[in-house]
Order: sequence, then structure tokens, then C-alpha cells
Amino acid sequence: MGVERVISMGERLQRLLDEAEKEAEAMVADAEKRAEAMVSKTRADAERRRTMAQRGYGIDELLKEAEEKARKEAEKNLKGYKEKAETVKEVPKEKMEEAVALVLKEVLPE
Amino acid sequence: MSAKTLELETQLIERIVKQREERVARAEERASEIIKSAEEEVEKIKAESEKQILSIVGSELRAVSDRIVGGAELEGRKMMMLSRQELLSQVFDEAKTRLARIAEGKDESTDYGEVLVKLIIETATAIGGEEFIVSANENDLVYLKKNLRGIKKQVGDALGGGDIKLDDEPIDVMGGVVVRNSDGTKTFHNTLEGRLVNARGRVEAQVGKILEVI
Repeated sequence: MGVERVISMGERLQRLLDEAEKEAEAMVADAEKRAEAMVSKTRADAERRRTMAQRGYGIDELLKEAEEKARKEAEKNLKGYKEKAETVKEVPKEKMEEAVALVLKEVLPE
Repeated sequence: MSAKTLELETQLIERIVKQREERVARAEERASEIIKSAEEEVEKIKAESEKQILSIVGSELRAVSDRIVGGAELEGRKMMMLSRQELLSQVFDEAKTRLARIAEGKDESTDYGEVLVKLIIETATAIGGEEFIVSANENDLVYLKKNLRGIKKQVGDALGGGDIKLDDEPIDVMGGVVVRNSDGTKTFHNTLEGRLVNARGRVEAQVGKILEVI
């Protein structure tokens, strides 16, 4: 009776292990399947976008991004120019006097 | 069942359960690695794809950038140029104001009478000849009439002869003279306004250097 019981339990435990093995295999297989699907989809998308780009389609988003980037750069540049333009006007009084004196010297006969 | 058998059973169950958990945990770890690796591959593909697309549409993107950034660049340069011009104009406007004060005799540092004589001599020399008719504004005509004898002498001395006459009709200028020869074939405008315009052409760059805007 004791021996039978041990054998019976051994079988059940082996089944448990076998099921765990199957579960593990299924888990890995599922991951591989998902991974393959992800990569395939991305490859297909990339190929589709590349083909569209070659035909000049589907680049609206890129153009929009480029426009936005360029607009920001343009704003930054313009701001810099505005600041410089204001700085240009801030001339010390003595420099202005020197310049006016030069003009007067040039206009009036020697 | 003996206590020993029970203990053996318990140990066996525990070992099997542990083995089961280990197998599942290993599988989970492996699955996680597979997904992570796939995600990395996806990112690589996307990056490569973006690179390829950028290279394909690069010229269009550059054109967009050139249009917008280039436009702003032009606007900025124009802004700088206008600021410089504004500053230069301030200098020449101020010079004009001071010239007007000189011509009105309000600037004690300059003898405007002397300026007028020099302008007449300079003009007559340029025209050449013996007799000259001088036109000037109302104020200057008054001065020239009042000092005509002395001025004639100065001009005669400078030119080695020659005579000047005054045109009674005043001209609308800030100062300076317009001189013509007696037969009216040659006329030389030597007004302060004219000299200022000419001076601007000659010294604008120099003025710009003084103001450090060039």
C-alpha cells in the first residue's frame, strides 16, 4: 500500500513538472511570437514609409517637424538680431561727437 | 502511514514545487529578454528607417529650413542695416543742425564769414575765368554786401585777379554759395547742403568705423 501511494504521488508530481515545462515553453514561444510580430510590423512600416517617402508621400509629419524646428531657430535668430540692433544704437556720446566733428570738418572748407 | 514516509512525501512535494517555480521563473526571464531584445531591434529599425527617410527627403526638409531660417536671417540683417542707417543719419542730421547754427552765426567756434569767402574762392577756382556772379541766401547776401570790398580783395588775391558780383536775388539754401561765370556758361553749386551730401558719400564708412557699426 505504501509503495503504491509513493508511485502514484511520483506520477502526479512528474505531471506537475511536465505541465510546468509546457507552460514555460508556451511562455517563451508566446514571447518569441510577439517579438517576431513586433519586428515584422516595424520592418513593414519602415519599408512602407521609405517607399512613400521615395514617392514624396507621407512626409507631412517630417515637414511639419522641420518647419517647427526652423521656426524656433528663426525666432531665436531674430531675437538675437533685435538685441544686436538695439545695442548698435547705444553709442557713447563722445563717439557721436567725434563722428559729427569728422563730418563738419569734411563739409567746411579748410 | 509512518511519520517518516510522511516527511519524505512532504520533502518530495516541496522539491517538485520548487523545481516548477524555477522553471516558470526561467521561462519568464527568457520571455522578458526576448521582448526586450525585440524592442531594441524595433528601435534600431525605426532609427535606421528615419535616417533613410531623412536622406530621401533631406533636400525638401533643407528647403523648408532654408526658407524659414533664411527669411529670418534676411529680416535680421535688414533690421541691423536699418539700425546702422538710423544711427548714421542721426550723425548727419546733427551735422546739418550744427551747420545751420554756423550759417546763422550762432556757433562762436566757426567764423562763417571766412567759410563763405573760402567757398567763393574754391568755387571760382573750379570755374576759372575773371568775373563771377555769386548767389547766396538772404542772410549771407547781407553779409557779403556789407563786406564786399574786403571779400573782393581776398578773392582777387587768391585767384591772382578777378572780380565778383552779387546776385541780388536770394536763393533758398541753408548756407554756402552758387557761383556762375559772367556769361552763365558755368555754374558751380557750393552750398552747405550740397557739401553735406557729398561728404556723406565720402566719409560714411569712416563714420561707421567711429561708431563701431561697420
